[in-house]
Amino acid sequence: MRSTSQLRRRTATVLAAATLAAVGFGLAGCAGGDTPSGDEVTITLATWRTEDTTMWENDVIPVFEKSHPGIKVVYQPTDTNDYNATVQSSIAGGTGADLLMCRPFDVNRAWIADGYFDDLSGLDAVSNFTETALAAWAGDDGTPYCIPTASVLAGFYYNTAIFDELGLKVPETMDEFFDVLDAIKADGRYTPLALGSADGWQLAYNVLDSIGPNYWKGEEGRLGLIDGSKKLTDPEFVDAFQATADLIPYLPDGYQSLSYEDMMQLFTLGKAAILPDGSWDITGATATGIDVGVFAPPVVNAGDQRYLQEMPDQGIGLNAASEHKEAATEFLEWLGTPEFQSVYVNKLPGFFSMGNDPVSYDNALAQEFADLKDGALLTPRLALDRLSAGQPPLDDDTWAVLQTMFNEGVSAADATATLQEHLDSWYTPAG
Amino acid sequence: MIRTAARYRLLALFVLPALAVYVLFSVYPLLSSVALSFMRSREHTFAGLDNYVRLFTDPFVSERFGTALLNSLEFFLIHLVVEVPIGLLMAALLTSSVIRRSRGVYRTILFVPATLSVVIVGFVWRLIINPLWGLVSFPLLGDATTALPTISLMSVWQYVGIPMIFLYTALLAVPEEVVEAARIDGAGPWTLFWRIKFPLIAPQFGLIAILTYIWTFNGFDIVYALGGSAPGPNYATDILGTMFYRTFFGSSGQVADPDLGATIATVVFAIILATTAAYFVVLQRRIKTYEL
Repeated sequence: MRSTSQLRRRTATVLAAATLAAVGFGLAGCAGGDTPSGDEVTITLATWRTEDTTMWENDVIPVFEKSHPGIKVVYQPTDTNDYNATVQSSIAGGTGADLLMCRPFDVNRAWIADGYFDDLSGLDAVSNFTETALAAWAGDDGTPYCIPTASVLAGFYYNTAIFDELGLKVPETMDEFFDVLDAIKADGRYTPLALGSADGWQLAYNVLDSIGPNYWKGEEGRLGLIDGSKKLTDPEFVDAFQATADLIPYLPDGYQSLSYEDMMQLFTLGKAAILPDGSWDITGATATGIDVGVFAPPVVNAGDQRYLQEMPDQGIGLNAASEHKEAATEFLEWLGTPEFQSVYVNKLPGFFSMGNDPVSYDNALAQEFADLKDGALLTPRLALDRLSAGQPPLDDDTWAVLQTMFNEGVSAADATATLQEHLDSWYTPAG
Repeated sequence: MIRTAARYRLLALFVLPALAVYVLFSVYPLLSSVALSFMRSREHTFAGLDNYVRLFTDPFVSERFGTALLNSLEFFLIHLVVEVPIGLLMAALLTSSVIRRSRGVYRTILFVPATLSVVIVGFVWRLIINPLWGLVSFPLLGDATTALPTISLMSVWQYVGIPMIFLYTALLAVPEEVVEAARIDGAGPWTLFWRIKFPLIAPQFGLIAILTYIWTFNGFDIVYALGGSAPGPNYATDILGTMFYRTFFGSSGQVADPDLGATIATVVFAIILATTAAYFVVLQRRIKTYEL
């Protein structure tokens, strides 16, 4: 048995060596990550916008670095679905980025409560934004914690060639909207509305929260739910849910399992006339070279005040545990300047500046979207502010309930009653 | 032989690295997650059983948990009922003399899906069954009754190679003499398989069933890949894994609740532990193994 024992001993030695080597590499890896290079400060920016990485790295950050020598900015993207989890675990583990991109409203409110951010009220950049713009990222007492970088709008994209061919004009009231849909359906060659119910958020954000504000009068209805003076079972909300469900006859077959990507394909291939979508997908909607226009959510009755969904999308805040606060603050100040805003919104068509300084948009469709804001009162999505901070969150709940309306024929009255009942189970109005 | 002391030292050397990794990355997180379920972490106070009471009595949370539990059970049963027989059939075909020449090719082809990324499997199948561009016009993923079975079958398609390999190796281990003896006694292929080979590989089924159970109750990836963290329609495909993820980490429309999330994780752990223990105590001991 001598040979076996020798073999064993040799194996053991190799194994021990391998273990040591692995540990050694691990240590070397730790040491290698933190090399200082002269006086240069490197700050990191955590974000969920993986799709904008090239834009930030090639167009935005170099402009900042040019005017702020000695500061290097590293863009640190995580996929949007994993972003919240990543930020939470990195902060808990003490490895958070210096700058954190902020989710609007309740998620951010929880982060503020957990002490993730530094108070930004001392910054000059803050004065470049209205209180409404800052509100999505402010604490309960109105203290700003994030500098707003971009908002998104929602509306209806339409294929201008199909509209011209069928002699249709852009609808201004809901009645005209349904006439247009009927005409496209009667013609039979095109799907009137590229919409599916597989992605619940799609029904909520791009349909209900788009046409709904014209029914519940924007902020009046939204804040009414928050202070408890209004209920989802009030007629203006039931009507909005009903109007959403009235679109069902105009959807493609098998819409129950069509995802957001499918809708986009259907529209960009020229097979559907209208796509309810957010401004963030301008690039996607025009990718195949079809002529696309955009119209605002139609009003209920001719002459009504028009409301438009403007959703605060991204802000950037300062990690309270950052070791490079000075450099990070300089970056935040820069976010309030027109220099940043015009670079940013023009490199990223579909995202809109929330600052007080006017910005012009090179992309024609982005300008068209921005023009929809004229004469309209702006309002964010219905359920994200406060109403989604408990179980069940109204936002997630709305997605699910809208799906039951689209897939199982649940009535608007029942749907809104369910939502209000769930909301009442945990929410005490702030008013 | 090596002396006993030296032998133990040698054994320790082999065991320690794995044990260290296991304790650091499995035992410690597990225990700290159990600890978290008894806490109110925002206030850093001990919550006792409050989180558990909430999970089982809060009308909304308990309803979601009930749905997720039933869905996980369905997910497991579909795997068990579909995957194992197909795996057995494939293993039997692989060991049959008809394809002796190309056995390696078939074995590889049948096992390849198990090596694919779940995201790719989900994406490809979603296109195949897409009502707009795919083969079926019925919205399989959009209908609350068909969505979960559809996703389960995608997963079965992907992982059928695993029970197949288990059973295939067991079939290969059946001694040629026994088979030959049976043949001489006049057994046809059918009798040979069901009366000779099947009883010899039977203990494998218990193992496959319990592994499938553990794996499906910890399941998450394919559902998340197809439906995100609030898998619809109306939570029809929500399983324990996605409910845990959504609760613990939060989603775009939901604030994270790590305490309740840890409670769900602990309950799931307890369920799996209890079932697995019961299985080993009650069943595994009674399974007859034939002495050869």
